[in-house]
Amino acid sequence: MKYAVLVFKNLFRSKRRTILTVLSIAVSLFIFSALVSVPTVANQILSDTASSTRIAAHNKAGLAYSIPVAYRQRIVAIPHVEAAMTQSWFGGVYHELYDQFPNFAVDHEQIEKVYSDWAISPESIEQFKKIRTACLVGAETMKRFHLHVGQQIQLKGSIYNFNVTLQIVGVLGGKAPPTFLLFRRDYLEEAAGRPGFVSMIWVKVDKPENVPQVIAAIDEGFANSSAETLSESESAFIGGFMQSYRTIFRMAEILGFIVVLTIGLVAANTAAMSIRERRGEIAVMRSIGFTSRTILSLLLSESLVIGLLGGLLGCGSAFIVLKLFAVGTGSMGPMSSIRMPPLVLAETLIASALIGVFSALGPAVSAARRNIVDALRMVA
Amino acid sequence: MDEKYAIDLEHVVRIYKRDEFEVRALDDVTIQIPAGRFVAIMGPSGSGKTTMLNLIAGIDHATTGRVAVGGEEITGMKERDLASWRARHIGLVFQFYNLIPVLTAFENVELPLLLTRLSKAERRSHVETALRVVNLADRMDHYPRQLSGGQEQRVAIARAIVADPTIIVADEPTGDLDAKSAEEILGLLVDLNRQFHKTIVMVTHDPRAERYVDTVYRLDKGLLVGTEPGRRGAPAEAAATSA
Repeated sequence: MKYAVLVFKNLFRSKRRTILTVLSIAVSLFIFSALVSVPTVANQILSDTASSTRIAAHNKAGLAYSIPVAYRQRIVAIPHVEAAMTQSWFGGVYHELYDQFPNFAVDHEQIEKVYSDWAISPESIEQFKKIRTACLVGAETMKRFHLHVGQQIQLKGSIYNFNVTLQIVGVLGGKAPPTFLLFRRDYLEEAAGRPGFVSMIWVKVDKPENVPQVIAAIDEGFANSSAETLSESESAFIGGFMQSYRTIFRMAEILGFIVVLTIGLVAANTAAMSIRERRGEIAVMRSIGFTSRTILSLLLSESLVIGLLGGLLGCGSAFIVLKLFAVGTGSMGPMSSIRMPPLVLAETLIASALIGVFSALGPAVSAARRNIVDALRMVA
Repeated sequence: MDEKYAIDLEHVVRIYKRDEFEVRALDDVTIQIPAGRFVAIMGPSGSGKTTMLNLIAGIDHATTGRVAVGGEEITGMKERDLASWRARHIGLVFQFYNLIPVLTAFENVELPLLLTRLSKAERRSHVETALRVVNLADRMDHYPRQLSGGQEQRVAIARAIVADPTIIVADEPTGDLDAKSAEEILGLLVDLNRQFHKTIVMVTHDPRAERYVDTVYRLDKGLLVGTEPGRRGAPAEAAATSA
């Protein structure tokens, strides 16, 4: 602590340089933390939402194609299947095009069995079963549009040529994606003229080890039919959905690291300049009796403080900006809520500390080990 | 090595390598300075004065020969041990004061005490005493840029004495000062020598210095060419004439 004054005073030796260095580190770590948050959030969503006992069965030709609703009856008869729930993508728009969030029609009788980990209250389930126009909304969408339970909302059809008017009866919680809206499929069926097709069927299996067996049974059961199925575990399904973003994620990560590396080099140059200017003072301190190790610690502490200040400022502002603007819209599905995860916060602070220490390490070691007489001669 | 000498140099040679050239800065110099003396090392530029001072202060190593200061042989000490030894035994005063510009006079003087186990209150007490000795108790919150050259040098002297070192080494302490300030600094060094019995070794070009010291050692081209008594207390005119 007795050296804190020395570190503090040297930090403000050149206020402008210190402030500019802190800001440049802050900007680079803002970019880094924002970019790295995207893939981290994606991975987190995958691990948070995917259940090890849920299977997604959809048309083998792709998600754009539907499968007959009658498949559900055959699937529930397969051993180890506890429940099966049909789901249709409605693709409705709330108010304006940019006010989108994922909305699906689901079997109201099956929802509590298949989504038992979505923390839907029994009262909400009861209302959902009782009211044909009922809907359940994710907490984030509720917050984003200032919705409340009991409120009526209208979704404009973008795939279907009709709108649906829904009454909010509960909030989705637990592992539910926070932007989803679920309403009853019987309502959609009736409005659409009972086409008898659905986007997919969610299947709940009794144990994780039975999942491969059930997947094989489903796909074999509908092989050579007019709508062959492709079944996959929930994590594989979400992972596949995110696959399209992977290249962008990878680029974001690489860009983040390039930005950090670049600013690290700039900070190293600044640190070198700052330490070079003080070679004489360092020599005087050493001649007084300060050891090379103490000098090195003091110089690295200064740089560490600069790095951490930049890091706190950078990831703090990224955290606030991401929270305020909730990058992306609800239409992005699972990617709808890019927030800075604690892991990225920790990574960014570690990166800032590393920038601080490594940018000054070379010049600091050199200054701390420099021959005292040579350094003093340069001052004279 | 004899412990009655504060400084004991035996057959000291210091050779610097400058590119392909070898410079013999000190050539077989033997000097014994008794404890409690105020001595001056004088000589033309390049005579080896500062090299000798650096060896005494333990910030440079002799190529050959033995250097003992305060009864301790420092010739073979490792850098880490030397740093700790310097902190305990040596107070350094430089020509250009070499104060840390971002620290106040108080903080500059406190620097050597940061290396000790003294509490904050003890450090404050020591610093205030040192600044009182150099008559700068009222300037302790001033930064170096707010002080005159003479005041800066007095702060540097306070820094040199604050840890109560065995020996004070001063490299051209009056070299950057006007005549009045130079006299004040020399007077202050005499006071330190008389009142606190500090051994002081001063490198100087300043002929006035002869009036303040006990002994003058004369170097030329790395060789000790003369040892003569100082003219402590002699009138300024007489000293100037003899110089």
